[in-house]
Amino acid sequence: MALEGSVILLGLFFGLLFVGMPLGVALGIAGVAVLWVEKLGIMAFPTNVWTGIAKYPLLALPVFIVAGMVFERSGVAERLVKFAAACVGNRTGGLAIVAVIVCMILGGISGSGPADAAAVAAVLAPAMLKQGYPRPYIASLTAAAGSTAILIPPSIAFIVYSVLVPGVSLNALFLGGMIPGILAGLSLLVPAIWLCKRGGFGLANPDDVRPPLWQTFKEAIWGLAAPIVIIGGMRSGAFTPTEAAVVAVFYGLFVGVFIYRTLDFAAIYKVLADSAEIAAVVMIIIALASVFAHAGSTVGTFDAAANALIAFTANETVMLLAITVMLLIAGMLIDGVSIFLVFLPILLPIAKTYSWDLTWFGIIMTMNIAIGQFTPPMAVNLMVTCKVAGCSMESTVPWVLWFVLSMLVALLLVTFVPEVALFLPRWLGDL
Amino acid sequence: MSEHADIQAPGLKLGEKPPRVPETLERMVGAGVMALLCLITFANVVVRYFTNISFAFTEELSVALMVSVALVGASAAFAMDRHIRLTFLVERLPVARQRQLELLILATCLFLFGLLTWLSARYVWDEYRFEVMSPGLGIPQWRYTVALPVLSAVICLRIMGRLVRVFRTVR
Repeated sequence: MALEGSVILLGLFFGLLFVGMPLGVALGIAGVAVLWVEKLGIMAFPTNVWTGIAKYPLLALPVFIVAGMVFERSGVAERLVKFAAACVGNRTGGLAIVAVIVCMILGGISGSGPADAAAVAAVLAPAMLKQGYPRPYIASLTAAAGSTAILIPPSIAFIVYSVLVPGVSLNALFLGGMIPGILAGLSLLVPAIWLCKRGGFGLANPDDVRPPLWQTFKEAIWGLAAPIVIIGGMRSGAFTPTEAAVVAVFYGLFVGVFIYRTLDFAAIYKVLADSAEIAAVVMIIIALASVFAHAGSTVGTFDAAANALIAFTANETVMLLAITVMLLIAGMLIDGVSIFLVFLPILLPIAKTYSWDLTWFGIIMTMNIAIGQFTPPMAVNLMVTCKVAGCSMESTVPWVLWFVLSMLVALLLVTFVPEVALFLPRWLGDL
Repeated sequence: MSEHADIQAPGLKLGEKPPRVPETLERMVGAGVMALLCLITFANVVVRYFTNISFAFTEELSVALMVSVALVGASAAFAMDRHIRLTFLVERLPVARQRQLELLILATCLFLFGLLTWLSARYVWDEYRFEVMSPGLGIPQWRYTVALPVLSAVICLRIMGRLVRVFRTVR
């Protein structure tokens, strides 16, 4: 039963995935087929769809999506860019540095990569083009920097991980993601500046007037305070993650409506409608994936697959590298959150075998996914920034590979020195 | 759809007409429920901080609303082909083939959500028959779960609509 069921489950899922079936439906069909063939009780289908998403902790996901969208649409990115430009000043690759910094700050407000990358690319692309940065460079850099949003708290990926993996605290994940996220962002600066020097673009221009620091700071302070409200609120124990998210929503609305005066009723409606759809697309996959997970764990597919992988190599380092390669390839093909849903059932038993820390494991998985978000051919972030910068995905390849490489170095550091991720939550008592 | 640059999946470009019943319908419901969710959650925070009353029992209401958002939004996404899917390989095929394949895919989606509609209706019927009560507010549980069959049926209609629209491009 285990073998037959597993072949149906995985074969059907991957088959359907590759012919372009919506991911959730591919998971659902594979799960239902196994329920039916193995006579596991078809009523598990509606039950799991309901219980898969009817979970209170998951509420943080839609609310954080609204929060990120409110800030994105309220024009906070523009003000942050001006302030960052005033701080960085006139130097080679100055705007590239600004792009990375602003992406990281926005990552502290929004929890999804593409929105972050798109906002920064839209604000910075005109100025960068004026300084001679090539279009594919702009698309590659902002896509890569935007991917840090799922590492720097709040993060949609961490919310999903904590819902799927019982016993891992979302607070610990959020704190643990902070340093790796900042590292990943800073690692991008090396190729970013080197490429500028090699290509002779983005050079310091002595005629440029540096915007006044204090003035830009006053404008940007409302945006800069948002990550502090979110993280500080959760850290101090004042808010649960969902509450922190909703406080961020109302804070963002206040800033957008009364301070920046950029949000009117129509804009708020669009924020709500768009975030409803974005959240729905993720949640319907979670719902149908729980049918897949139920069927797979009942027939023992995941344990069998995990055992097969462990039999393949008993060496912990080789296993970690194999998982990294597997996740990177998967990350190139499907979007981040879906990777958790497909791979976690197989990888968790492996992690338990080696008694890996599950918080750290979630962080390196997320870091892998972040890299996948801007690695062609299926890179959600890059797709969005190419549209904004006006270039093709193919043209970015010689540029984006440098950023992939540098973030891989950061990933390997966190993989082999887990304390990089874990010391902050441990120090603050969340682990 | 440049305004949807931040909604991730771009979908296939098969040249079908837009839906005759605009997906604005689901978007309005989705936005409304989302607003309600934010208000309830925010009210919870405010009330907890300024009084010592707690209405955390509204959790089950929020959760049911969240499931509704998921289904309503999924419906809009089916209408506009914005679900997350691997289109990289399919895009290499000639458009005529892509369209034929899309018909098969949509039929499969319809089968899954048809099945979900039917089975979840039975599930809700059982809850009604056995008078299952909700743990928080103590009201009949079926009043929450009934969203599942009803909204799955809406999703089925959306899939059928797109099936017809893609079919028209084939001939």
